[in-house]
Amino acid sequence: MLADRPQFEDLYRAYLGRIYAYVRAQVPSSADAEDITAQVFMNAYQAYARFEARNTTPAAWLFRIARNATLDHFRAHGRRERLRRTIEHQPMAEEDPSGMAEERIQYRALLERVGQLPERQRDAISLRHSGLSFEEVGTLLKCSEDAAKMLYHRAVKGLRDAVEKEGV
Amino acid sequence: MSDSEDLELQALQRQLDDAFETTRPRPGFEDELWTRIQARRPATTRLRDAWLGLIQGIREAPAVPIGAVAVLLVVVLGVSVVTLSGVHIGGGGGGTASLSAGGQQYGPEAGRGGPPGAFGRLPSPVLSPGSPDKTADSAAQPTFTAPSTSYPGPVTLTWTGKLDLAVTSAPVFRYSEPSTNTADQFGSSLGAILLSRPAGYLGSYETTDFSVRVRGSVQSPAREPSFILLPIRALAPIDAAGGSADVAVVFLAQHSLAPTWQYTPEATTSGDQTKVLLLRQFAVTGYGYAYLVDGSGERYGLEVDLKGNTPTLATGQLPLSLDTATYPIITADEAVRSALASSPPVSASPTAPSVALTSAELVYSLVVAGDHSFYEPAILFSGSFTVDGKNYVKRVLVPAVDPSQRSS
Repeated sequence: MLADRPQFEDLYRAYLGRIYAYVRAQVPSSADAEDITAQVFMNAYQAYARFEARNTTPAAWLFRIARNATLDHFRAHGRRERLRRTIEHQPMAEEDPSGMAEERIQYRALLERVGQLPERQRDAISLRHSGLSFEEVGTLLKCSEDAAKMLYHRAVKGLRDAVEKEGV
Repeated sequence: MSDSEDLELQALQRQLDDAFETTRPRPGFEDELWTRIQARRPATTRLRDAWLGLIQGIREAPAVPIGAVAVLLVVVLGVSVVTLSGVHIGGGGGGTASLSAGGQQYGPEAGRGGPPGAFGRLPSPVLSPGSPDKTADSAAQPTFTAPSTSYPGPVTLTWTGKLDLAVTSAPVFRYSEPSTNTADQFGSSLGAILLSRPAGYLGSYETTDFSVRVRGSVQSPAREPSFILLPIRALAPIDAAGGSADVAVVFLAQHSLAPTWQYTPEATTSGDQTKVLLLRQFAVTGYGYAYLVDGSGERYGLEVDLKGNTPTLATGQLPLSLDTATYPIITADEAVRSALASSPPVSASPTAPSVALTSAELVYSLVVAGDHSFYEPAILFSGSFTVDGKNYVKRVLVPAVDPSQRSS
């Protein structure tokens, strides 16, 4: 069975960027995204001995850990404040000016909009555009592949409406 | 769903693809986190790996005398035990060590907006030797110029300008040298695939439309990690309102290359060809924006060459995240004294032409320094002079960071 599994470092190198992008779309700051991403891979490293490639893909396994870590973060770090900002349509807390160089501004604005979608829609978009199949998205969100597709398309339309309404 | 609505959604999905593909942690984070993960391994595993590594090393070096192996074994085991116990020998030197002191700063806050001197002592920026005294014509037109001539002899300097430096500190910016992985991510963000890794480059990439080469920092003349994008076949003209600078920005934005930093556009046209420079600036609280200058004192940034409205080249800095630390800077008087001290005394060169430095501004200059390089504040003095009917511009770059914070 071990032969079926990639080395953890290979997995880490291959997925770090994608996991970070997924997390970054959920949280308002790159500092939080780095903390959560670190937690994801720490957890994954601890659990890797129990990972069975026959049952799931490495991507789905890692994104499940990432999703759980992100939800844990919200539980622990003022989900209420985040919801308030969403309701009031306030921009997310801006990072320090040096952070402006980290990511391209226009994409960050788009990801902030993604972050303001309802939780399942946000997940559907983030997981899909992180490279997961609809089947994997459905498995993670505990729904069928077709339901995941519908959820995703509803989310994209919602995002488009938000972008049109307020601009990005 | 109407066709236009469908197209809108598809465009949004492409933007999302780009957003997720190009959103990546800062350079250095990957290795930092991997180090942390490795540190979580049980001590027995680390000791076993150290042992296996040692055995492997001995196998690969069969000529090593047995006695030396024994000594090495003792040393390595000793080091392993010390490492496993969490004891760190020595304080480390240089900027990196000082930033990572404590070993607990992994997020972007590490080094950003930290206390003065958070990067440790800094190397000083300098103008490239032999390049400061340029002909005035070339200085006025930094692009599309013939090779500039330098005034070959010494000059004596005076200061007749006015320099107001209301700030007592300024940020220093630092980037980590990108890896091939960083370059590959950059290539991917352009939709390009890796072709090869030519000598001197981190990677060479290609799409059906253009090729891209990425290289790391260059020591001399100092240049930061950069890319150069060249069309393989004629690109479509850019449809953009406004002038050539707008065309250049639209082209860059189409490829997710539009700068996220402050810039001032500058366009120079010759015939149907236009060179657009987006001159990079750094924000300094209490001062405004300071230009980035190269080893000859010229402002620079991203460059896009156009033939009509068709891009023929794009080149410039690789997008990299920057850490920031605030450093005390010298006063205006100290800067002037340093500038004047850079010329020999009149008594030493009685025939040297006298040059009046008439202007000075706060600028940023790149100092390449291994794994980490710096954009540091400096004062750029300049003044023109004439010798044998030929006009020259004299430039003097004075490091602005307080000498107590500089290593050279």
